[in-house]
Amino acid sequence: MNVCLADLHVHSALSPCAANDMTPPAIVAAALAEGLDMIAVCDHNSARNTAAVQAAGAGRLTVLAGMEITTAEECHVVGLFPGAAVAEAAGAEVGATLARIEDGYETFFGEQHVLAADGRETARETLALATATPLDVDAVVDLVHRHGGLAVAAHIDRRSFGVIGQLGFFPAEAGFDAVELSRHVTPGSRRQEEFKTYGLPVLHSSDAHYREDVGAARTVLRCAAPTFHELRLALRGERGRSVADA
Amino acid sequence: MKLEDIATELGFAELTSDETGSRDAEIDRGYASDLLSDVLAHAPEGGLLVTLQVHLNVIAVASHAELAAVVFAGSRRLDDEVIAKATAEGLSLYSSPADTFDIVGRLYALGVKGNHA
Repeated sequence: MNVCLADLHVHSALSPCAANDMTPPAIVAAALAEGLDMIAVCDHNSARNTAAVQAAGAGRLTVLAGMEITTAEECHVVGLFPGAAVAEAAGAEVGATLARIEDGYETFFGEQHVLAADGRETARETLALATATPLDVDAVVDLVHRHGGLAVAAHIDRRSFGVIGQLGFFPAEAGFDAVELSRHVTPGSRRQEEFKTYGLPVLHSSDAHYREDVGAARTVLRCAAPTFHELRLALRGERGRSVADA
Repeated sequence: MKLEDIATELGFAELTSDETGSRDAEIDRGYASDLLSDVLAHAPEGGLLVTLQVHLNVIAVASHAELAAVVFAGSRRLDDEVIAKATAEGLSLYSSPADTFDIVGRLYALGVKGNHA
């Protein structure tokens, strides 16, 4: 089995809070410079830049189509999807629940750039991606699963926007496929061990909003190749695939 | 009541510098919530927010909702980045060791009311 280095939570310039220079070519270049085999593009409540980053990385880097959905409880849930088209379908469902931006939104929350593979801006997203959906945690996990995706409880070590920080407990019945730890938890530390008690695989992801943070935390997968299908097997611990201790 | 006087009266610690904040603002409305979407939708303009939510987005939300100040309950610790952003936005931040319930009760006694009072 091969070792695959993955950073499964990276934002692009579509996220209002991410740097405007997080363009498809810049993200791919940063990931390759870090020696990563696979990344996932996960913008807030939208998957509109996933196909562009996939195209920018074609033949050089596996780019999974993802989305970081904000639940009604303001928990962040990362959805990882088998392809950009299904991710965008899931994104459309999420987007239908969001309000349009109002005057001043970009000033306070940031700009939302929809980009082509070469980094050109093709549109400015007018849905308020920084806000919460009216969907609760269970509904969001269900939405991700209905689109064939994997649902990850994002940065559960953090006080803000992690499921534990927002709810005070881990919602075991929601049906998450994995939990994600931020770069603030050292791999192999006792603190990391605590997060294994939910019986779910533990991912380490950078949640990069800036180029220099891509790869700042990474997950080591034992799998045949860096693909969505192999990731799913690794999360389930099937056919010899696994999430290794970093 | 002036924000500055409320802060003194209730023993809030000022986290932002007095030059950039809105200490002179007259405060007669307040809101308490830890969900930013709820703050965005319901917090009264010119009012004061009591919250436990320390994420950077609290500043964007408070600015967008045109709040005068945010009070962090339970001595929640803030990243420097949050204070820097508030300073840039001219938003006053305070901290109190008291919990949300007690802070709101004391504010009420000083005449700071909610949307429906």
